[in-house]
This record gives sequence, structure tokens and C-alpha cells, in this order.
Amino acid sequence: MAKQKCVAMLLAGGKGSRLKELTESLAKPAVPFGGKYRIIDFPLSNCANSGIHTVGVLTQYQPLVLNSYIGIGSAWDLDRKNGGVTVLPPYSESSEVKWYSGTASAIYQNLNYIKQYDPEYVLILSGDHIYKMNYDTMLDYHIDKQADVTISVIEVPWDEASRFGIMNTDEEYNVTRFDEKPEKPESNLASMGIYIFKWSVLRKYLEMDESNPDSSNDFGKDVIPAMLADELKLIAYPFKGYWKDVGTVKSLWEANMDLLDNDQDLNLFEHSWRIYSVNPNQPPQIIGTEAKIKHSLVNEGCVIDGEIEQSVMFQGVEVEAAAVVKECVVMPNARIGKGSYIERAIVMNELEVPENTIIHNHSDDILLITEEYLAEHERRQSRVEEA
Amino acid sequence: MKKSMLGVIDATMLPGEMAELAGHRSPAAIPFAGRYRLIDFVLSNMVNSGIQSVAIFPRSPYRSLMDHLGSGKDWDLNRKRDGLFFFPAPAKEGQFSRLAEHLDYFNRSDQKYVIVSNCTTVANMDFGPTLDRFIKQDCDLLEVTHNGEPANIYLLSLELLLTLIENRHETGYQSVQSVFEDQSSSLKKCQYEFEGFLKRIKSVSDYYQTSMELLQKDKWSELFNEFQPIYTKVKDEPPTNYLEGSHVTNAMIANGCIIEGEVNHSIVFRAVTIGKESSVKNSIIMQKSKIGSNCTLEHVILDKDVSVEDGTVLRGTAEKPLVVKKGSIESAVASS
Repeated sequence: MAKQKCVAMLLAGGKGSRLKELTESLAKPAVPFGGKYRIIDFPLSNCANSGIHTVGVLTQYQPLVLNSYIGIGSAWDLDRKNGGVTVLPPYSESSEVKWYSGTASAIYQNLNYIKQYDPEYVLILSGDHIYKMNYDTMLDYHIDKQADVTISVIEVPWDEASRFGIMNTDEEYNVTRFDEKPEKPESNLASMGIYIFKWSVLRKYLEMDESNPDSSNDFGKDVIPAMLADELKLIAYPFKGYWKDVGTVKSLWEANMDLLDNDQDLNLFEHSWRIYSVNPNQPPQIIGTEAKIKHSLVNEGCVIDGEIEQSVMFQGVEVEAAAVVKECVVMPNARIGKGSYIERAIVMNELEVPENTIIHNHSDDILLITEEYLAEHERRQSRVEEA
Repeated sequence: MKKSMLGVIDATMLPGEMAELAGHRSPAAIPFAGRYRLIDFVLSNMVNSGIQSVAIFPRSPYRSLMDHLGSGKDWDLNRKRDGLFFFPAPAKEGQFSRLAEHLDYFNRSDQKYVIVSNCTTVANMDFGPTLDRFIKQDCDLLEVTHNGEPANIYLLSLELLLTLIENRHETGYQSVQSVFEDQSSSLKKCQYEFEGFLKRIKSVSDYYQTSMELLQKDKWSELFNEFQPIYTKVKDEPPTNYLEGSHVTNAMIANGCIIEGEVNHSIVFRAVTIGKESSVKNSIIMQKSKIGSNCTLEHVILDKDVSVEDGTVLRGTAEKPLVVKKGSIESAVASS
């Protein structure tokens, strides 16, 4: 293998259990987003656009959809003779299958993958966030600061800081302490889960971490604190721009709605930083004579005869006549039957919403419309009618 | 059995009445139906019929056609064995003379039958039943027809094609079509009537009428279905953004557009922008064209990369749509 300056390792094994049924049969990085993408398209496109062409993708939970989606990486121009994308599932060692017990152990078990490229730097990414970022600029910063580790951070609102891993730094952005979800945060710089390590340093600390039986094998909880204790040079890289963790039904919905806000920083129409995805080859969208579409994103393969407002429609969605969809995310190939009304919800893929299904939502929460939800909704409706 | 066919696409058609749309490109590469090029239909039909070796004979200018086809990956034709072949030939007249320039391709192929097609027929058609008929009726040469009219798609054995190419000087035949049309020939000729949606695009008027017909759902669904998809070169455009104030009805819209104005009974290709208070009716807007605000377009075909400045009015008629050339700039002053 030819030497690579920087190898990226993308942690894509997350279960994302707070996304409920959305992650029942697929891993969180494979969850659809923004009308045509999956979450993992963002870090993979960032890699391709940053000129990082060697990417190991670590999978574990429900990998089928993710594996077939990634394929040989051609959608992101990552099908390379040298490097390219490699899916790295857990594997068995002599007597036992070793599941990835934490983020650090996942990388540890794939040290041989990294070794074959003999890199100087290793970029650790997660497949859980929506953002555009030039990793090459971050790498320049890392080299310029002569750091052992560079951690990308973003300023979050103070009242939300206790939900994140918080980096305390001095004025020069040297990391002095790391607090995982602190009750009383002393800084509002949240770790974005993006690290650049000197390869020699990473290797040493992963080996140490693995031999420590008390470690939970996590970068944030174990590896970073151990490096801080040894007074290595850890530096924060302040990122400005759109970044969102889409870990819950509500935050996934919010991130989709953010795409409809033309003032925010996540521009999918930007030519110089395209987000690539596997294109499903669908015909153009067909808009009927009675259709009304306002303030929405609509993908190819949709057939719209009803009314859509402030919504994101994935490929192959059908909205029948006199149906109204408001502030919704409708996943691929769902059909909204005639005369239905749905608001503030995520509609599951392939779901058939029967005619005249009326679902109002005045609460702050976002509904997840599934088969089960519809069945329950129908039972409730018939009880109301009986009474 | 299906694998036993070769596909030959004769893309040497002269622009003729399509010159306005084909000035800088082969008729095969004329954008169609929001995200396709005309050649995508016959090429996808061949692939969906199990054909794994397709030879395309283009005529200059073929830059845009080659750019579109690439390695054939989007049609799954980037194969180690067989795949997509591109055979530019010297500017010789006569189909057989051009095929003769690449006789090696035919000699090396071990397929038994050949489909020879033109490049601008719009249809969604499986050639499997055509081959069944050909074999069952023991035909020498089969012509596909639609409403009794020839569709300029032929099926014959590779052996017969090779003989016709070799003997072209003695027989005087220039093309498969001329063989079929010769009443005195002793070959057994058959016809196969295709009953679905099929249009041969030979003029700007054919192009416009056929495009507008596809806005009828029953016509559209005859051409596009999930079982026999029409493939095309993939682009990474985001979904189309319908802004506040947009009003879109009875339209076919591709991805990557930003629409703020009104669109009615029209086809809009990829990455088009339509500004505030603008109205687009009975028109075809090709990829990356930009329409400013307060514009009125009716019965217009905008080729690629056309820029229409604020306040411009462009009007053609249903019989004679106004065609605006690729890359031109239309301003309010020039059009008034």
C-alpha cells in the first residue's frame, strides 16, 4: 500500500435508539436526511471534498443497509485503486468475536488497517452529525500548532452546554480539561467528536487503553483524559458554521426544517462543496394541476397532487389530491392518501397513510408516523365515534 | 437467450428540422423530459432487455454525447466482457460503410442477433418479445412499427448483418432500412407492432409536442415505470427548493431547482432558477438556465445555460415554440 498522509476512521456503528423506529432496522448513520441523503453522506462528502481519500468505516449495529449503501464508495468518488473506502466490521479473533465495546476499542481493533498506509495523522469522525467541514484546513491547523491531538469544537448556547462533552481551554485554545456532560459547565465549547491524532501518539494510547481493564474504551471518557494527564499537547479547533447532532426524532425533524431556512449556513446548493449521495435514478417529480407547494424541498420521483407546506419530501413520495402535509418530513416511497391531513411529523418510509387520515399535532413534540401509530390512531378515532 | 443480442445505435442522424436544438450537439444528446438525453431511451431499453454489448456510431459533433455516456457506468455497461463501445467513423455516407469501419467488433462478438436502432426514438420497450417473434416466425429481418409506421428499429441475425456489410458494393444497399424497404428482396421480412407510448423525434415540433404530451399522467406512466427504469447520467443535485410564493401546477420538475415564481404546464430541467413574480407557461426550460424576476415565458424552449434577465417577456406559439440557443442572454430591452 502506498503511504497516505492522513487516514480517516469513521465510526458508524451507532444504534441511535432515541430515533425509535427510524433505527429499528438500520444504523443511525444510514438514517435518511434532507430529501435525498443519509446522515453518513455528510462526513463522507466532507472527506472527498477535503481530499482525504482513505476512509475506514467502522460498522456494527444493523449494518446491512449501510454496507450496501456505501458499496465500493463510488457515490463519493472514493472507489480508489489506492485507499478509497473500506467497511470495517467487527471480526473474530482465534476464540472469540470481539464486538466494538467503545469508540477507542473499535479503532484499536483496526490498527492493522491504519498501519498498512503508514500515515502521519489519523482523523476520527462520527457518522451522527450534519455539517460541512474542510478537514484539510483542520489538518493544517493541527500541523501548524504542532499538536498531538486536535479536537474540533463548536460554541453551543450556555443553557445547552450540559448536554455535550465540554472542552475547557486557555486563550490559546490549549485544552486544559474535558468534562463529559457537566452539570455546571465552565465553558461552552462542545466537542464535535472530530479528532486529529498524530498516528504514533494514537497508537501508543490505544494500546495502553486496551490493556487497562478499568477503561470503558471511549475517546471522550478514557483516551483524551489519559492524554491530558500525561500533559500532551491537546488543542481545540474552533469551528464556525452549521453543525447538528440528529440523535432524536425532534432534532432530526429540526435539522430537516433548518434546510428550509434560507438564512442558515447549511447550503446544499453550493457547487464547490457538494454533498454526494447514492442517486436512486428516479424520474422527475410530477406536480399535478391542483397541487400547492410552498416553502418545501421535493426530490425526484415524487408525485404531488395535494398540498405541501414547509415540508421535506424524499424520493418516490406520493401526496394524493386534497391531502395536506404541513411541517413534515416524509421518508422515501411513503404515500399520503386522499383527503388526509398531517402536521408536525416524520412519516416512515414505505408507509401507506389511508384516505382521510386526520392527524393534528399542537404539541411541542414531533410525531413519528408508523404502521403502529396509524393502527392506534384508528382505534382512538373509532372510540371517539362510538362515544 | 436475451443475452444473445447485440445493440447497435446509429447516432449519425443529421439534425435536419431539429437544427435549432442540435446545432452544437448530436440529436442523440438533446436533453429531454427533465433529466434525460434522447439516447437514454433506446440505450436503457437495450439494457433492460438484457443486452450487454452496445455499439454507438456517432457523427461529429459528439463531445456532449461522449461526455454524457462516459464509460457506460450509469447504464451498467462498464463491463470487463462486452459493455459500451463508441465507434466514431470517418464522414462516410451509408450506414453499412460506417459499420464496415469497425468490422472487428462484429467479428469478435459471439451474440447471434443484432438490434439496429436510431437514436431519437422515445419509448419504454422490452426487446425480448420482439426476439421471440423473430425466432418463432423464422424471420430474416424484422421491423418494429408503431401505429403501422416504421419506428426505425430493426432486428436481424449477426450473420446476415455481416453479409450485408460485406456485399454492400454489389447489392447497393446502404442501410438495414434500405434492405427492408426493397420489395424485390428475397429475405423473409416481418413487422412487430409496439403498442405502448412511442414517438420518433425528428423536428423541434415533434420534440415540443411529445414533451407536452408527457405532462399527461397516463402518457408519463407509460414511459416511466419502476420495473424498466430509464437510466441517465447521474448528477448530485439537491432536491428542488420551492420557496415562499412559488406556484407550480401541472409540471415535470427535476432536482436542484430553486423556484420562486409560477410554473404551469411546463418541463423544468435540473438546477434551473425561476425568480419572483415570473411566470413560465407551456415551456421547456433546460438545465442551469436562470430566469430572473418579473419575466413572462410562454411557448418557449430555453436551451441549457440561458440567462433571462429581470422583466423579460419571451413568447412563441403552440405551433412554433420560440427556441433560445444554449448560453445566450435574453434581456428586457432586446425582447421588447
